[in-house]
Amino acid sequence: MQQLTFEVNGRREVVAVDVGETLLDCLRERLHLTGAKDGCREGECGACTVLVDGQPVDACLYPALACEGVSVRTVEGIGTPSEPSDLQKAIVEHAGLQCGFCTPGIVVVLTALLEAVPNPGRANIQTALAGNLCRCTGYAQIEDAVLSLASGAKDGL
Amino acid sequence: MTNIGSDLPRADGWDKVAGKSQYTVDYSESGMLHGCVLRSPVVCGRIVRVDVEAARSMPGVRAVVTATNVGNGRAGMLVRDQTLFADREIRHHGEAIAAVAADTLAQARAARDAIELEAESLPALTTMAQALASDAPLVHPDWESYALNPMAAELRRQGNVAGELIADPDGVDEAFERAHLVVEDEFCVDRQYQAYLEPMSAVARFTDGRCIVRTGSQFPYNIREELAAYLDVRLSDVRVIGQTVGGGFGAKLGCGTEGYAAVLSRAVGGRSVRVVKTRDEDIVTAPVRENAELRIRTALDAEGNMTAREFSCDMDCGAYGLETPTFPSILFHFAAGIYRIGPVRVHARAVYTNTPPTGAFRGVNGPAVYFAVERHMDNIARRLNEDPMAFRARHMLRDGDTLLNGQALADAHIAREACEAVQKSLPAVGARQSGDRLRGVGSATGFWVTNPLPGSVTITVGEDGRLHVLTGANDNGSGAVAMGLTQIVAEAMGVSTGEVIVGLPDTDLSGYDSGSQGSRTTHIVGKAALIAIDDLKTRIFDVARQMLPPGANELELVGGMVRAVGIGDAQVPLAAVFQMANFSNVSLSGSGTYATTPPAFTPGCAVGLTMPSLLTPTYHAHRAEVEVDSVTGNVRLLRYVVAQEVGRAINPDGIMGQIQGGIAQGIGFTLTENLRLVDGRYLERSLEAYRLPLAQDLPRVEVVLLEHPDSEGPFGAKGVAEPPLVFAPAAIANAVSDAVGKPFYKLPITPEDVLFALDT
Repeated sequence: MQQLTFEVNGRREVVAVDVGETLLDCLRERLHLTGAKDGCREGECGACTVLVDGQPVDACLYPALACEGVSVRTVEGIGTPSEPSDLQKAIVEHAGLQCGFCTPGIVVVLTALLEAVPNPGRANIQTALAGNLCRCTGYAQIEDAVLSLASGAKDGL
Repeated sequence: MTNIGSDLPRADGWDKVAGKSQYTVDYSESGMLHGCVLRSPVVCGRIVRVDVEAARSMPGVRAVVTATNVGNGRAGMLVRDQTLFADREIRHHGEAIAAVAADTLAQARAARDAIELEAESLPALTTMAQALASDAPLVHPDWESYALNPMAAELRRQGNVAGELIADPDGVDEAFERAHLVVEDEFCVDRQYQAYLEPMSAVARFTDGRCIVRTGSQFPYNIREELAAYLDVRLSDVRVIGQTVGGGFGAKLGCGTEGYAAVLSRAVGGRSVRVVKTRDEDIVTAPVRENAELRIRTALDAEGNMTAREFSCDMDCGAYGLETPTFPSILFHFAAGIYRIGPVRVHARAVYTNTPPTGAFRGVNGPAVYFAVERHMDNIARRLNEDPMAFRARHMLRDGDTLLNGQALADAHIAREACEAVQKSLPAVGARQSGDRLRGVGSATGFWVTNPLPGSVTITVGEDGRLHVLTGANDNGSGAVAMGLTQIVAEAMGVSTGEVIVGLPDTDLSGYDSGSQGSRTTHIVGKAALIAIDDLKTRIFDVARQMLPPGANELELVGGMVRAVGIGDAQVPLAAVFQMANFSNVSLSGSGTYATTPPAFTPGCAVGLTMPSLLTPTYHAHRAEVEVDSVTGNVRLLRYVVAQEVGRAINPDGIMGQIQGGIAQGIGFTLTENLRLVDGRYLERSLEAYRLPLAQDLPRVEVVLLEHPDSEGPFGAKGVAEPPLVFAPAAIANAVSDAVGKPFYKLPITPEDVLFALDT
């Protein structure tokens, strides 16, 4: 075990982790942040996506010990059920989720997109989602949700 | 009405979008152990020796179980042909051999890897042709001794044929003899993996001698039935508690990990055990959509009218039957499509092979059957030099015409309405070429069904007037509960959706439900809720009358109040009615159970017919416009138009999601998803190799909703979820055939297939 000190959702955390432990296991098993999901453990589905110093990474492949001193942001740090971010609110209101298992990863990736590109077009959104699989929605309503924010129109809601 | 036809946010949406929903993998119990399963590396063989002694003594290991120490209970959807572990025979790659429970997952896996398995490989039947050969060994030599579930009463079986349907009406041979033209086609489709994002998982423990399992299942009551059979205990000694379902699409109707978690928990004296499949394990063992081979011949007279058809099909069950033996019966109902054809001879078989078992995937064999039927219709039209839609229109059933089972289709004209709607949105202009790009348009039309099986609901008024809905139905992600049922209850009770709380299923508490399958939940469970509300309203009004001024005879529920109609503003809140009822010996609870009444059909229309009639039909037309890159062979969807009849739209945004998502799965099945068997093993065993459509691969589907309220359905609603996937492969394959100018007969249509067609 080694000691890891890093910031998670704005709070300093000190945890003991195994050598070779993934960031995903550290977040889920040690910090009980279960929003990031283990969908494939091979970096394909994107359900485990979190932000490391603002950059989306597949937490299932990212070593926990590589996080010393960094700032990690998970879906729990983006909003809550009672105080969702604008993006989370738009996804619910555009029916941009169904089973919801991929949704945390998609929220994280699109939060990063909107921070980098405040007014993305549909093509930007689709490219940003290239690392996130959603089997339920066919993506269109997720894209609609982001576009409603990008236009600033909030879709009349 | 404010709740019906409204795009209200789904009840579980806020937790899901914030990562707070609890899936089975997020659920743990004190002292919980971790389990994993040793699976066969052999495709077909005999177990010579399984030595678990070394594994048993490894650090942290609490139990190792095999067929020899868990009993030999058999379970199955139709035929009870499956055991939890291979006993002597290994019938497919990935079949379970042993399971381990340990303090940590790493310890469990290390112990699993230390189990010594010695297996003798035997020649495997890896194709249906091999399994159907007259001298083929039997995949299940003891098939005659297996118990059948009630649904299998009419099932016709023989050796490696796990289910067979034969319809042989008079006049087929005569029509072919008289035919002016006979058009004959052969089609084949490959397997498709459901690819839900949440791998199969379960947590089990034993308390007071009963097995308690938590699982994100589509069909908790079936899990209970299968577990009771595997564990050889009374049905009521198993309790299944639903969790949020991370997608299922049919794969989570039966046991995946539940049985292993349960036997491991029993072996360790009742401690909780969690079993989660890894992704490669999930792919190898999921009940994927079956591969199938289909042959259609149609006789035509001199005027180009269809006069008879022969349709035969073999579908691959894999090593165990699951749902697949009933698919020949489903094929029968759709063998003529939605057309007047004359007599249709059908021969369909589900075949055991030494391959991983296939099962239910959204729309079951509908996508394959309509692919064959609607591609065939295009081929006939081309032979007649007639516009494909005009040819269809000439033959389309009219209101009151009968299907192959003799059942009358009362409202067949809706299919014409759907065809006209897609024609208006996307007129077919014929194939075009621009440089290296070939464009084409293709269509498909037909009818689909709403699963009629029973469901039940109990609704209780709580102390604060809120409504608690108890049902065995689980939302598989579709929104059928989180939108459909919730909005139906809110509307009928005169409250906002926020006043309706639908709990997760629990087989100890909720009434029976037949699972989220066959597009049934909104229609069936919604109707059961309305029956429950009729019961509940009578009780509410009886109590409220005592609280309202004399003369308050006619009452209504508005905004959480019981209001006297016509007596000023006399009203009393539901919470106050509860208090009064509580001290008046009245339970403010109502229950309802509903299953669709089957329509009349012709007995004897077919032999081996496990599903004799089709209930609550819906009507559909799809049109796809594709662009084929003649250099790379890639196919891109330019536009996709759907006209779908839904009865009544409860939540249009929710329906849009079902259509967009269903088309996405149809595009995958048609163009990119390929689960290839090579000598009994899948080639694609990761989400990298198994190519799901991405956001950039998908068009935004244009949707025309047709509403023809069903007299029985809740506010007129019918099933919605499966049909988008059912018709997509036919429409897309017709469009690619149109663009390339060559017919395609096999799914998926890969870039290699396109380039091969262009070169020949």
